[in-house]
Amino acid sequence: MAEKRRSGVTADPKSAKAESDEEFLSQAGVGALLRAALLKLVEARPEDPIGFLAEHFTNEASETESGGGGDGGDGDGGRDGEGKYQDALEEQQLNKALWHLSLAHHSQRSAFNNNIRVAYDLLSECGAVRHAPGGVQGRLYTEMLRCVCGDSGLSETTAAPLLHRLQCHDYEAVPFELFRQAVMTCAAFSDYLHRARCLYAAVACSPDRHAERELCETVLNALREALDTSHGSDATRYLEASAKISPAELARAMAKTQGASREQEGPSMDMREFEDAAAALFIARVRVIN
Amino acid sequence: MNMTTDRFTVPAEEYLAETSTLFYLTDAVTQLLEHREEFIQFGIVRYFAEYFTSVKNGNHVLFREFSYVKGTAHNRASFVHIFWKCFRQIGKNRDLLTMMEYTSLLQLLCPDFPAEMVQNTAKIVLMEDAMDCPMSLSDFIYSFQIQFYYEEFLESVLVIYEDLLEGKNPNAVIVPTSTSAETISSEEMDTQEGVDSSVLLECLEGLCERFKHKHPPLSAMKEALESSTRVSYYGFLMALSKHEGISLEIGALPNRSDLLIDPEMDQELERLVAQVAISPTSNSSGSAQGLKEPCRKPSPRKSLHQRKRIEMESDGSTEETDSSEN
Repeated sequence: MAEKRRSGVTADPKSAKAESDEEFLSQAGVGALLRAALLKLVEARPEDPIGFLAEHFTNEASETESGGGGDGGDGDGGRDGEGKYQDALEEQQLNKALWHLSLAHHSQRSAFNNNIRVAYDLLSECGAVRHAPGGVQGRLYTEMLRCVCGDSGLSETTAAPLLHRLQCHDYEAVPFELFRQAVMTCAAFSDYLHRARCLYAAVACSPDRHAERELCETVLNALREALDTSHGSDATRYLEASAKISPAELARAMAKTQGASREQEGPSMDMREFEDAAAALFIARVRVIN
Repeated sequence: MNMTTDRFTVPAEEYLAETSTLFYLTDAVTQLLEHREEFIQFGIVRYFAEYFTSVKNGNHVLFREFSYVKGTAHNRASFVHIFWKCFRQIGKNRDLLTMMEYTSLLQLLCPDFPAEMVQNTAKIVLMEDAMDCPMSLSDFIYSFQIQFYYEEFLESVLVIYEDLLEGKNPNAVIVPTSTSAETISSEEMDTQEGVDSSVLLECLEGLCERFKHKHPPLSAMKEALESSTRVSYYGFLMALSKHEGISLEIGALPNRSDLLIDPEMDQELERLVAQVAISPTSNSSGSAQGLKEPCRKPSPRKSLHQRKRIEMESDGSTEETDSSEN
């Protein structure tokens, strides 16, 4: 059936129609192309696999197309043209890296780690052309972290103190472990702040009123204590910390505060201030890289 | 296309099958094989990129065969959406069309679209009565959406419904002493049509488990059944088609109140009309026709499909010339 239909094509009679389907697919490299795509897909397991494949093949196509036509600009452009080409390439790789990082939530640890690896390899490819051997350029790394924070909805002012601790010098080469830690930290930070906002909303009771300052301070204190849990093995630390900020524990602390100052309505704290205070608690525990 | 189970805990094969990824990959390769000369020039990687981008955007079902159009939930929703985009204008003009006319419109988008599906839709709109009666686009399209998107589920509901009508309750345990209850229900049957809503709902709950997530949300069906104590099959389907929550879940159509409003599309249409009017090559009769014609989304698939048809039609003759050459 298929053979017949193909022979109806009026193009070159000696062309592809002589070969079988399998021959055609292997000659055109379809098998290898699809195998690579499926591997990446299963590795990342995105929520929207069709969108993933669309993006993946588009990336591949623009890569092969720009790879073929990229040399053309060298003739008259000289150094300047090459620089521009480099910048475009960097931006492309950066976007691809960010896209990979957005595929899985950081709590899906193995998938997320995989995606970090892919992002790292993409970005170190840019470095190999220029001067930093064995790692991602510090400049690219800092730029990427800024984008990760921006993409996850953090404002620039909120993210700035964290980025200040994580950033490297432009000329440095960033090894993988550092890269991974930094990306994880940014992802965890944006989650942490999201929860802090939820916490504030819970303390404030109604969305159009500010929360009471004393209550906020109590909650922030509880948060600080939980974060300060530093002795013992990881497992006991996690258990102890989560016990310290369990809903029951928080409710008890808040009830105690409210009991002490029941009479008058005290001063309030707005969301911004609460968020900044919570962010400061987190950031204080991030090691400065330089 | 979305999975209800955790996508990170199932085996890879299940992930690929559940998300219809294998379905699309298979189709992409089949299409590639059928039009290999064309796509080799286009670039194989670019072809896959275009294929999956069009699947993502939902315009991949245009002019495709029916088996493909109904192949996945995403395809069905995309088809309903395309139908709405293409023929929204009919609703705006408040035209009423018959079953036959709707069939023709559907077949413009999908040549082998079965008339039976339209017939079943008309049964919902017209409550199985006066089947040649013309219908408005909004009545038709919401019923069509339910019929097309949940086809298999509705077939099973009909089987259950008919069993219930005959007095068989698939879920009930038969108690020999309950003669008094039976006589009451048979008396009721004579006076009212349909079946007891609560009994039907009970049966539907069992059915949903078998259908995994290819059924309307149970809460929505509950709401649709709550309005009266007895319900007929088409009455139930009508209630489903009017339920905004189900339409939202499918995600192919806007709310009933917004169905005919699309300022972006109207602007585009006005721009096109203005272009036709300005263009010196168009004569007056041409532009008048352009106004009447429903706006169609341009698609690269269209030309491709037409070419394919030409190829198929000229099959015999070229084959002969081929064999004589060799």
